[in-house]
Amino acid sequence: MPLSLPVPVTGRLRIIRANLLRTAVCLTTVWQLISGMPCRAQESSSLPENRATTHATLFGTGRTSLYETYLSPVTYTGPHLSFLHETLRKTHWLEGRITVQSIFDGFFCYTSNRAGNSDEMGGKFNYSIGWHYNWNVAGCLRLMAGGEIHAGLGAIYNNRNSNNPVQAKADADLCASLMAVYPFHIRRVPFTVRYQASLPLTGVMFSPQYGQSYYEMSLGNYDHNVCFTHPGNAPSMRHLLTLDFPVAGFTFRTGYLCDIRQSRVNGLRSHIWNHSFMIGYVKHFNFIKRKESRHRPFVL
Amino acid sequence: MKHYILLLYAVLILLFCPACIREEIADNTPVNNFETLWRIIDTQYCFHDYKTREGCLPWSEVYTKYRPRVHDGMTSAQLFEVLCDMLAELRDGHVNLYSAADAGRYWSWREDYPSNFNDSLHRVYLGTDYRIAAGIHYKILDDNIGYIYYGSFSSGVGEGNLDEVMQYLRLCRGLIVDVRNNSGGTLTYAERLAQRFTNEKRLAGYITHKNGTGHNDFSPAEAEYIEPSKGIRWQKKAVVLTNRSCYSATNTFVRNMKVCPSVTIMGDRTGGGSGLPFSSELPNGWAVRFSACPMYDSDMKHIEFGIEPNIFVHLNQEDAARNKDTMIETAREFLNQ
Repeated sequence: MPLSLPVPVTGRLRIIRANLLRTAVCLTTVWQLISGMPCRAQESSSLPENRATTHATLFGTGRTSLYETYLSPVTYTGPHLSFLHETLRKTHWLEGRITVQSIFDGFFCYTSNRAGNSDEMGGKFNYSIGWHYNWNVAGCLRLMAGGEIHAGLGAIYNNRNSNNPVQAKADADLCASLMAVYPFHIRRVPFTVRYQASLPLTGVMFSPQYGQSYYEMSLGNYDHNVCFTHPGNAPSMRHLLTLDFPVAGFTFRTGYLCDIRQSRVNGLRSHIWNHSFMIGYVKHFNFIKRKESRHRPFVL
Repeated sequence: MKHYILLLYAVLILLFCPACIREEIADNTPVNNFETLWRIIDTQYCFHDYKTREGCLPWSEVYTKYRPRVHDGMTSAQLFEVLCDMLAELRDGHVNLYSAADAGRYWSWREDYPSNFNDSLHRVYLGTDYRIAAGIHYKILDDNIGYIYYGSFSSGVGEGNLDEVMQYLRLCRGLIVDVRNNSGGTLTYAERLAQRFTNEKRLAGYITHKNGTGHNDFSPAEAEYIEPSKGIRWQKKAVVLTNRSCYSATNTFVRNMKVCPSVTIMGDRTGGGSGLPFSSELPNGWAVRFSACPMYDSDMKHIEFGIEPNIFVHLNQEDAARNKDTMIETAREFLNQ
């Protein structure tokens, strides 16, 4: 493979580049000292040549906090079950530096009020697809930044309300997403730790008007039931921290998912806070058969 | 360049790091429960101004009147009594407070008036050979008048049921639809039955809802229509029998039937209850129910305190002594004319 000649740079640019290089080296050293774990240089510092795809399916459990003033002014808390299926795929765009991530997740919760005499059940499915640009920084640390399109559909049911027993949840938004991936080895065993934060920036959501009944909506009476959302009236965020590790030739993933969905529209206040411990398995695929080893810490 | 982009994302995410939206109600103390209940009704109840015009105490004065009666040392039973007294100021049968021990209620809309319904007499008229189609009991009376008794709109009725009922009664000279003591239920069943008595789309009334916390924050009123049923419809004269216990969905049923040309409302004024009730709760777990969405008649007038019949008829004790139900007998005479 022919090497390109170095581009001449001015003295000032050379100094800046040298400073940035020094900073990167320092950060890498500090990072490795803190982590205390050896990081192997990747065989190829850039991206794999063929189209690599990672599928991960996780199941989880945790606690949910439901607050929905359309149903009750009181917060309901309880356990939930959740799942998350993720696909990460490398594309050919921008010299292979764009990856596509799609996530389909859902949860079902059964919660109670503080007095323990009323229950709320809730569930929601979410689908998001996002595109991220990749950078290699500080040795093995890879950062990814991009955007997502998200859509969700669900409902909360209160078991003792009369004409307001249900609140439907439907939303769609555009999100900013930031991801950090750090592959490392402990005694030649590959691990990958990953953190991702997603923030809805703008979108739309369904909501009844302040005192509007679903009976009235069934008559076709519309009253600002589709609301524009932004971080001011719907400050939401999702954090996902995972660790991939191999066991008996398979790759498993465990992690923590913090899904915070909130809104303040039509005079109604709502939050769904999910904190989940997740565990599942990971599969790596290549559209073209590769000659590399079976275990790959993180293909993208 | 990449560092700037990453920095921008990091700042963006930190900048919009979600501010918590969490509950605003306070701890479970008698005073906080009182304050929460007063605020729920203040911001979500839909008849404040109308009730004040009708002679109820303004809600701000209700606070002044009842707040001194609440202190943190009182028992649950004492608090329940005070809160029920406070809610009774609204004179609304849709306003209830539920604890594990009791259900607070205002039932003067029927308890202060003659019942105009005698269960023993009713059994005499129905006999033992009546038919049952879901929630409807029906038969043909001796003078070829059809009789339908619908005791609760909580009991469902399907289009197939109504087709069978209409088919069975089709040769009758007239029809009595008795909804006395029907204190409501599901509006859908009430509308489904009313649709059998009109051949064209008719304006029945209006509905609105609160769109803010103020006493006068309401959405524009939306018209409510009754559409003719696609099944068998009643084409002859019909009488709807009412009493003070006709409440909520039954009140709406009577409103809808009143705009049907071949239908006559007979009996006593209905109990009312035109606010679609919502539910909420207090920090101690007590449930509260209140009127949230007001419904009006076709002239945009309140029907919260009931609907007047076209013909007032009351049970006569002398008739009752002869095992005669004055209201049914009057309806039969009317239909036989």
